[in-house]
Amino acid sequence: MTQPLISLRNITHRFSSAGRTLEVFRDVNLDIQENEVIAILGPSGCGKSTLLRVIIGLETPASGEILYRGERQIGLNPSASLVFQNFALFPWLTINENVELGLANLPWTDAQRQDRLRKTIDAVGLEGFEEAYPKELSGGMKQRVGLARALAVEPELLCMDEPFSALDVLTGETLRNETIDLYVAKDSPVNTILMVTHSITEAVFMATRIVVMQANPGGIRSVLENPLPYPRDEHHPEFKRMSEQLHGMITQTLIPDAAEAHHQLPRQTQHLPQSIPNVSMGRTIGLLEILENEGAMEVFDLSRLVDMGLSELLLVVKAAEMLGWVNTPGQRVEMTAEGRQFLGLNVNERKRRLNALLREIFVFATVLRMLGGSDHGEVDEETVLTQFALHFPHEKPHTLLRTIVAWARYAELFRYSSSRRMILAIKT
Amino acid sequence: MHPSRPAPQPFETGPGSSTNPPRRPALWIDLMVVGLLIGLIQTLLILAREWSAPLRPVADIHLETRYLPLYTLFSFARGMMAYVVSFCFTLVYGYAMAKSERAERVMLPVLDILQSIPVLGFLPGLVLTLVRLFPRSNLGLEMASVLMIFTGQVWNMVFSFYASVKSVSPDLTAVARIAKLTRWQTFLRLELSCATPGLLWNSMLSMAGGWFFLTVSESFVLGEHDYRLPGLGSYMAVAIERGDGSAQALGLIAMALMIIALDQLVWRPLVSWSQKFTTEESHPNTDSWLWNHVRRARLTRGFALATAAFAKRFKRPSRPARAATPSRSAGWRWAPTVVAGAIGLAAMAGAFAYFQMIQGLTTSDWSALMSGTGLTFARILAAVAIATLWTVPVGVAIGQRPSLATKLQPWIQMAASFPAPMIFPVALGLVLGAGGTLSGAAVVMLLLSTQWYLLFNIIAGARAIPRELVEASRIARLSRWQRWRRLVMPAIFPQLLTGWITAMGGAWNASIVAEYVKFKGQTLSTHGLGALISQSTERGQFAQLAAAVGFMAAVVVGFNRLVWRPLSHWAQTRFAASA
Repeated sequence: MTQPLISLRNITHRFSSAGRTLEVFRDVNLDIQENEVIAILGPSGCGKSTLLRVIIGLETPASGEILYRGERQIGLNPSASLVFQNFALFPWLTINENVELGLANLPWTDAQRQDRLRKTIDAVGLEGFEEAYPKELSGGMKQRVGLARALAVEPELLCMDEPFSALDVLTGETLRNETIDLYVAKDSPVNTILMVTHSITEAVFMATRIVVMQANPGGIRSVLENPLPYPRDEHHPEFKRMSEQLHGMITQTLIPDAAEAHHQLPRQTQHLPQSIPNVSMGRTIGLLEILENEGAMEVFDLSRLVDMGLSELLLVVKAAEMLGWVNTPGQRVEMTAEGRQFLGLNVNERKRRLNALLREIFVFATVLRMLGGSDHGEVDEETVLTQFALHFPHEKPHTLLRTIVAWARYAELFRYSSSRRMILAIKT
Repeated sequence: MHPSRPAPQPFETGPGSSTNPPRRPALWIDLMVVGLLIGLIQTLLILAREWSAPLRPVADIHLETRYLPLYTLFSFARGMMAYVVSFCFTLVYGYAMAKSERAERVMLPVLDILQSIPVLGFLPGLVLTLVRLFPRSNLGLEMASVLMIFTGQVWNMVFSFYASVKSVSPDLTAVARIAKLTRWQTFLRLELSCATPGLLWNSMLSMAGGWFFLTVSESFVLGEHDYRLPGLGSYMAVAIERGDGSAQALGLIAMALMIIALDQLVWRPLVSWSQKFTTEESHPNTDSWLWNHVRRARLTRGFALATAAFAKRFKRPSRPARAATPSRSAGWRWAPTVVAGAIGLAAMAGAFAYFQMIQGLTTSDWSALMSGTGLTFARILAAVAIATLWTVPVGVAIGQRPSLATKLQPWIQMAASFPAPMIFPVALGLVLGAGGTLSGAAVVMLLLSTQWYLLFNIIAGARAIPRELVEASRIARLSRWQRWRRLVMPAIFPQLLTGWITAMGGAWNASIVAEYVKFKGQTLSTHGLGALISQSTERGQFAQLAAAVGFMAAVVVGFNRLVWRPLSHWAQTRFAASA
């Protein structure tokens, strides 16, 4: 194999805020070859956008090194550009000026600059909009400008951070196709693309190689080659097969015990430090309502039925599984007897039942224990956050606390005062 | 936003009548531009002559009408020069503070203290130093006056710029880095652009702040020296002192004309132009007739093309910027720290000199300061309370009628930027005539100078009350009282708080001119911190002055820290509009 354009060697990255350190991902190794389209796929919170920023050089990794054409890359990559999820256009510059931004400091003549500008504007279909300001454009047109700005410098590596997710479905479809057309075209300014996405279909549609990441701790789980020829057809059996394979992988990353879920784990093991997924109780119960008739469904069908992204849906499934309401053999979601029984209860009975269930779950048991050990049945939010940061170094403690508080309020397990930042026991 | 001097946002005006101006290029505008240029050159010549003239501490101020245009021009020039200094100071200080955390730690508290020092606190130092530096020409005195106006303008601009630079979107910063823009390009294209709307709005407030002490900045007594510069402020001061009613009226008209001219010829066009820097997609009614014409005048277009071509010449040698040259950036990284260190040292030296100075004060001096502070505080509370009582109902009434608010906005703006000390004599005459005392009149003066901030903010708050909430409270058939308690008061509270903070900060400063007045040939004074400051300046008692100014700064900063900051934080978490 030829020398890779970029190699990542044991890249680890951490964020620290308010004295706490959060490890985003660990020991990431990846080679990016020229003429590839790589899609990084993964659930939210796995650090895929951060990885992209580390590769470009916007963020410096905590450890490990990045090689650019065999040499260590320090600071910004000299020939990478980035397309942003929310376009990141300068509102006070015209479309022309926005696209020209990256050309300003290239050692070119004015004529070369103008020539390149015209070609790029033409390539992405922005003719006629040159003098407009971003606020006059629709989302799709804005992202064309973002694309043009990134392409104008003829980057060796074009990075895209969920570039189509802020657009409506139809516009996203158009831009996906056009991006691939640009990649396939012989005289195109771009040969190598690295994109971050959370959509399996988008990854299979565009990428020649798909990198699946996992969260908690973040890292690369597996890499999948996608040899399908362009243009790709979503209804082609191979396309479908690959999508399902990826569904399986992602399901595995989120619900690792999916395969052995039949062998019900004994209740006690639930006290092992286990976090809870960041979903609302309303959604979790909603999942049961959906399953009530069928009793069981494929994850993929369920995702389409409720019009929800797979990784988001899987978090809901995971929550339901923690509460013992569903089982997940393979890629199926099956309602358990407990789940069905819970649905039959009225609002107050549900609260009581949920209250009993939550007491068995590690994070709630921890908070209750802390409340029991306190003087007036009050615990400072900070104390709880510190405790969580200790047990779950890969999770954002504030997000976790918010979810816990929401569930506990639902089940009347304990109270929370946001003005005093205190967790309060409910006196019985 | 910094809590002590938050920049109120202009309340949005209704959908604009953005009618397309006719395509015909206007000849008269070209003529006007030429005329303006000639006028500018002429003005510069007059100013140069005046400034380089031999030192004349007490200029003869003539109350005849024919001198008034020239005086107005002089004051206008001082205000503009002070503004230019403020602008440059803002960019340097605000940028350094926003870009380096180490610098911020020193520069932010220093700024906080500086902004609470009243203009008279800067006066002796500035005047004595500058007059000594230029003993033969008027330059020193003129510079001192400009710098005093500067101290009335600059602080909120710095806070606004600092906050804007700090809140630049990280994505746009990333774009600038990937595009390998130089530091200067990033500053122009990103940080300054982002800050423009806020900076512009604060500039308008700042100009008003500068005019507020115009009378003091142009004519003052310092020890045995009497200083007076030719200008509108000293014209008014003399007119008030002599009790010349018609001269006062003319001075007021000149002042009003100057404010209107500035608004129409400078601020409105600038606000109109700055629309492109706002990120919102709304189109507030910020039409400026001047900007509409200038935009399509041939001459201006030619001028724009010429400058663009000129600028290009300098743009050319853009070396291929390689990935950050380490040596240069390393040097730059230390710059803010060095600046901050210097400021820190200067602050320490200043504090040392300060404490040496106030050592000689007697117990009676201190007790006078204490009681004076208490009295002034009581007057300020009374003024703010009265202002709140009338501005809340009026502001809410106006705010809930968008068309009315649009109509009234320029008038309120005008009233707010009119320097209250110039109207004060009228109020004083009325209060004294009705058998009142100066102590009572001082409250009226404080009211005059603070009520507008409140009105502004309350209108803005009332306009922002979500329509759905108004409808919901009507459907729930809430009584008038319930609606005020449940909806209106909580909704406008954060803005009311902002208004209070700004009003009280301004009121402390205003007490200097409210409690000590030269009126109809006599000097009236009532006990208070403001009067103590005025008096000790005039008598050249610098130890007393230093102590009194220090007291005022301490009270303002302390009040901000101990009362306003916690209160704003609470209001933010409790009443923030988003759920």
